[in-house]
Amino acid sequence: MVDESRADSAQGATSTVIVGRPKGVLLHAWFADHARVAADTSLFVSQRLMSSFLVWLMVGVALTLPGLLWIAQSNAKAFGEQWPGSTALTVYMKVAAPAQSIIDLEGRLNREAEVERVVLTTPDQALQELLAQSDDSAFLRDALAAVGSNPLPASFAVVLTDNSSYLQLEALSRKLSAQTGVDNVVIEMTWLERLRDLSDLANRMGGALSVMLLIAAVLVAFASVRLAIESRLGELRVLALIGATPAQMRRPFLYFGSAYGIGGGVMAIVLTAVFLNQIETPLQSLLVSYRAGIEIAGFTPGFLLVILLAGWFLGVAGALLALLQRGVSDNPAK
Amino acid sequence: MARLQLQHVTRRFDNGQEGLSDVSLSIEPGSMVFLTGHSGAGKSTLLKMLIGAETPTTGRVLVDGSDVSQLGPKQMPWYRRQVGIVLQDHNLLEDRTVFDNVALPLRITHLPAKDIARRVRGALSTVDLSAKGHLLPRHLSTGEQQRVGIARAVVNRPRIILADEPTGNLDPYLSRQVMSLFHQFCDLGSTVLVASHDIDLIKDQGCRILHLSQGALVQDTASPEEARA
Repeated sequence: MVDESRADSAQGATSTVIVGRPKGVLLHAWFADHARVAADTSLFVSQRLMSSFLVWLMVGVALTLPGLLWIAQSNAKAFGEQWPGSTALTVYMKVAAPAQSIIDLEGRLNREAEVERVVLTTPDQALQELLAQSDDSAFLRDALAAVGSNPLPASFAVVLTDNSSYLQLEALSRKLSAQTGVDNVVIEMTWLERLRDLSDLANRMGGALSVMLLIAAVLVAFASVRLAIESRLGELRVLALIGATPAQMRRPFLYFGSAYGIGGGVMAIVLTAVFLNQIETPLQSLLVSYRAGIEIAGFTPGFLLVILLAGWFLGVAGALLALLQRGVSDNPAK
Repeated sequence: MARLQLQHVTRRFDNGQEGLSDVSLSIEPGSMVFLTGHSGAGKSTLLKMLIGAETPTTGRVLVDGSDVSQLGPKQMPWYRRQVGIVLQDHNLLEDRTVFDNVALPLRITHLPAKDIARRVRGALSTVDLSAKGHLLPRHLSTGEQQRVGIARAVVNRPRIILADEPTGNLDPYLSRQVMSLFHQFCDLGSTVLVASHDIDLIKDQGCRILHLSQGALVQDTASPEEARA
């Protein structure tokens, strides 16, 4: 030991004690220290697998709801966009309404600001469609022959612009009902509009809840890292005395925060996958009843990455809070 | 230039007591000096000041002319890496093996693993613990734990060694062995300051002795009259 030291010419009475950071030790040292701390963190976490699992679960649960809300929001949006018929009204004219009143109404509809498109179905077209859709058109023809005239009215399918609200739709419906020759106005897909309103409400409430849950995730990481700091105060004192830099002393705890956060992110992904798997079948069945065949989207690699990054960020934020609160780098050698 | 220098250093604690009272001293590079005095005389406070764990209320603590109390949090670690410190209460990490405890000062300096292994083996051999590198500190006797602390202090070949009662738990044979080790480091240019109660051991070493009493430096055998006495 001492013989080896003898060979080290840098040591000795003539050399001066360096009181600043020597040059040329930065990048290599930085990588080496990260590798060492990563290995230490893996060991620390694997030695406390049960408690680490509980932390992951808590962070994961806190991350799952925001993730699910994000998926729900993106699917609701896609659902509205992909709906076979956009928000619309159907205006039924009285049977045998004069042709002029039909033309007048068409002109009026086309002048309405919230109307994007108007499609007129004449009584003859309606009859042809009915016959085409009927399983027993011969019977229907006989019945119509007995009536002697076409009993179907002319109708307008009125497609509204995307930014039309349900209130505007209702106002237009009332206005059209008062027009000459109009028998009935049916608002299509009002349930979709209501779904959108409910979705907006859910998004706002969910947003607030998500913020609270994300804060909870930070606090979970904070508490866990705080415990780790408390259990390693002796080690910190020794590290400070032997010359560990403040960054070296903080680093293990930032890695703990990262491990807890990323583990929580993985847990959130698993929980989200399980949840989506559970609701997929009943949701598809519900959508089929509305003649829509839209699949649940959003569980993409991008989503997984965002969840992992969010978990990592929250874990590191919790660790930083714990380090700040405990003042790890404030000369623990004292 | 003196390696270690205290200039009128006073350390007053929050309760008004003085840990050190107007202490001035100077220690040359490559010398071995003993610090004696009763419990509470200020030995540990003085060592803590030299490692930067305490700051003087007044006065200056200089190492090669640089004021230790003025070192910032970014400079302090680089200074401490050149100081080996042996603490009275060992301060070993209970969840690390003896080998890992001794390797700690080298790991933070990013020495290659094979160099770390070689140096740690050398340090353990010096304190007669070669066969116990794989054990956890709780499996060692108090004296053995003390020797692990000494191995950790010298493993990075420090320019300054500060030892607080390094032989307190050692038998006479091992105590002499540790002193011999410190002498060898002195021969290489390291400056060694040892706080100890063991007057017999100190006298055997033939080194300069600083005697503290109630925080004041009351005797320094470096001065000609004291040396004659």
